[in-house]
Amino acid sequence: MTGSGRGRRGGADRSRLRRRAFLGVAGAALAGATAGCGMLEQQSVGTPAVLADRPDRVYVPSHVEGMEMAGMAKTGRYRFALSYSYPHRFWNVDGDRTEKVAVQDGDGVHLMLTAWDAETGRVLPASNQRVTVSQGGETVVDRSLWRMISQNMGVHFGDNVPLAGEGTYDVTVAFGPVGETLTGALAGALGERVTASLSFEFSQATLQSISIEDLGYRSGRNGAVEPMQMEMMPVAGTPAAADLPGDHLGTVESGDVVLVATALSRPPAGVEGTGPYLAVSPRTRYNGYPLPGMSLSATVPGAEGPVFDDYLGAALGSDLGYHYGTVLEGLQDAGEVTLSPGLTPQLARHEGYETAFFGLPARTISL
Amino acid sequence: MPSIASRGVSRRAFVKAAVAIGGAAALAACQTRESPDLPTGPDSLERLPDRQHAWNDVLARDDHGNVLVPRHRVLLLLEYDGSGTPTGPERETVEAALSGLESAYPRSNEGLLVTVSYSRAYFDRFEAALPESVDLPAPAAMAPFEDPAFDTPDAVVHLASDYGSVVLGAEETLRGERDALNGVAVEDSLSEVFSVADRRTGFVGAGLPADNQDVAGVPEGDHVPEESPMYMGFKSGFEKNQASEDFVTIGDGPFAGGTTQHLSLLRLHLDQWYEQDSRYHRVATMFCPAHAEEGAVDGVGENLGDTSEMTERGCPAHTTEDAHEHGVVGHSQKSARARAEDSPLMIRRDFDSTDDERATLHFLSLQETIADFRETREAMNGVDVAADTPVGQRQNNGILQYLSVERRGNYLLPPRRHRALPTPRPVEVSA
Repeated sequence: MTGSGRGRRGGADRSRLRRRAFLGVAGAALAGATAGCGMLEQQSVGTPAVLADRPDRVYVPSHVEGMEMAGMAKTGRYRFALSYSYPHRFWNVDGDRTEKVAVQDGDGVHLMLTAWDAETGRVLPASNQRVTVSQGGETVVDRSLWRMISQNMGVHFGDNVPLAGEGTYDVTVAFGPVGETLTGALAGALGERVTASLSFEFSQATLQSISIEDLGYRSGRNGAVEPMQMEMMPVAGTPAAADLPGDHLGTVESGDVVLVATALSRPPAGVEGTGPYLAVSPRTRYNGYPLPGMSLSATVPGAEGPVFDDYLGAALGSDLGYHYGTVLEGLQDAGEVTLSPGLTPQLARHEGYETAFFGLPARTISL
Repeated sequence: MPSIASRGVSRRAFVKAAVAIGGAAALAACQTRESPDLPTGPDSLERLPDRQHAWNDVLARDDHGNVLVPRHRVLLLLEYDGSGTPTGPERETVEAALSGLESAYPRSNEGLLVTVSYSRAYFDRFEAALPESVDLPAPAAMAPFEDPAFDTPDAVVHLASDYGSVVLGAEETLRGERDALNGVAVEDSLSEVFSVADRRTGFVGAGLPADNQDVAGVPEGDHVPEESPMYMGFKSGFEKNQASEDFVTIGDGPFAGGTTQHLSLLRLHLDQWYEQDSRYHRVATMFCPAHAEEGAVDGVGENLGDTSEMTERGCPAHTTEDAHEHGVVGHSQKSARARAEDSPLMIRRDFDSTDDERATLHFLSLQETIADFRETREAMNGVDVAADTPVGQRQNNGILQYLSVERRGNYLLPPRRHRALPTPRPVEVSA
């Protein structure tokens, strides 16, 4: 295992965790929002209450926290970064229900795992994983973290865990195999379950040095905190529509989900079949994060009934990124395709996303 | 020796602790606490059933007709001490040791139930192969996301009783630490033939999980309901969701009357289950989204009677549909997809444990073939569901998120007539 390297928060390393700015309502960059500027920072004092009147949209949360890199590890093509922040509330999603997960008495940190493929840099947003944390041989955390999404960290795995005592912690990550269909340069890779280890030093002083910023009057407005910029690890993103391979069929908005559809003349490596391949890349408005765990179907009408009317399959592509796709004979002759997001992304949500992406309407793209 | 001081500990927790610790002192303490007044076993053992696994007729049942499995358990994983293959005298010793237990206690939930099973590794000692009527592969990983170690002891003895002291006394006798049990002389012991490679203990039944929830893997507090027979807070083993003993019995060949046994060691991770998940989520993932939507499960599921209402509510047939529409599928829902001749494929006789101070499930199932186990487990894995729907490999995919499989082993549970160190091709002794 390499890299138990820990990114210290503060000093020169602070710039690595630079958060650029917020996308405000008017798109105005917010003065003082850069990590490292103390103006808006507080040192881990009370977390603002959940806003009383939250829009059913992506909204600027009450506050935003920085994070501390605990360490990194690699096995084969898999790369892992473990980080943490203050324990904080989040929301679990079951179907169209949300369940607020409050901080428990014993919770010490919010632990986060990001996994990605070394060769393509693609973040692996939704695979089987289990994290074990022990101190002096005693296991303190042993669980699968939730797949979740936050405005500054994007799609990751996380949970509040009882990790509080100072000292050295040993972490084992068991990960994979990746469950989605893998396409392009990812086809045939990441098919094994691996384990990776790292160790890190934990202190309350380090935890307390993580920034927490009250977003004040901006809270509750439509918009989102910008992604963190980190040199050590990628944040899951999606290719710009113009960068997707194939013919761009169109971009439509369903609620705060932006659906970008493209047609490849033949399926990418990793997908069996012959004929055109329809790939739909849903991403969050503002930050363009991928949205795993949703149910997305496509309908293509024909003269004698639908040419296609079925769910699209989740896939992760080197060029296509996280998308939902299918081989669709007849796509080249189709006049339109209707995309129906049936189920909101089954991801735990950090604040600002917990009311978004529900009740998404179908959208039709004319071809 | 760990202390099992009795002060301030409920009888149930105390007895469980004694079983977990084992040994003569634990037995003495346990007997004092339980003081069972049990008759001895039958004078003639000839009328005992040939099926070692024929337990249901001598077990208690609840008001709904569900079998109540024995509450205290010990599993001894045994290594054969000899080199090569067992001898005739060794067979006689093993048979005498097992018969001794049967003479000492009635064959019932209050008395003692005992089975002995043998691994593929054991049968590989012989030149001859097992007959085709026995499907006993070496253990294997059952899902792409698990990485278990494999148990390959020669034999496994399973001791079960509602009394911890009975289980402990039987164990001490098998180990050769006592030469009498319940006033009955037992001169032979398994220690003359086997060494104990591993010892696993546990419990099942209302009250025991609640009493023993102060263990890693269960969050602090009184989360496990008093009425629950298992740590996860729900009943299992509904009569209509278990195969019959007839169904799991090998029908042909020299081991006709036997069955196969799968034993795995699963750790439970219930912090999220009890501290973060909603009741809706727990019911949907344990049973089925329909049960959660319709509020079909009261408490631990006592209202369900003798069925988990899987087919009644269309759960198995709607697994993929539920995954798309609700984003979650249930453990029972997935498992119920594995059926044949309108029957589940297995009988579960699993139990919880605090072995290694961790919340543990010793998953013990009986089925005619290990292939039946694999089919059920694959249905439960829901890899097919995760591949095509919003349900994750483990998340929202039944209860997979809350379990991790550490060990697996497969065994042949021969009929009683061949229970003592059988060869792969036992010769029938004419009656």
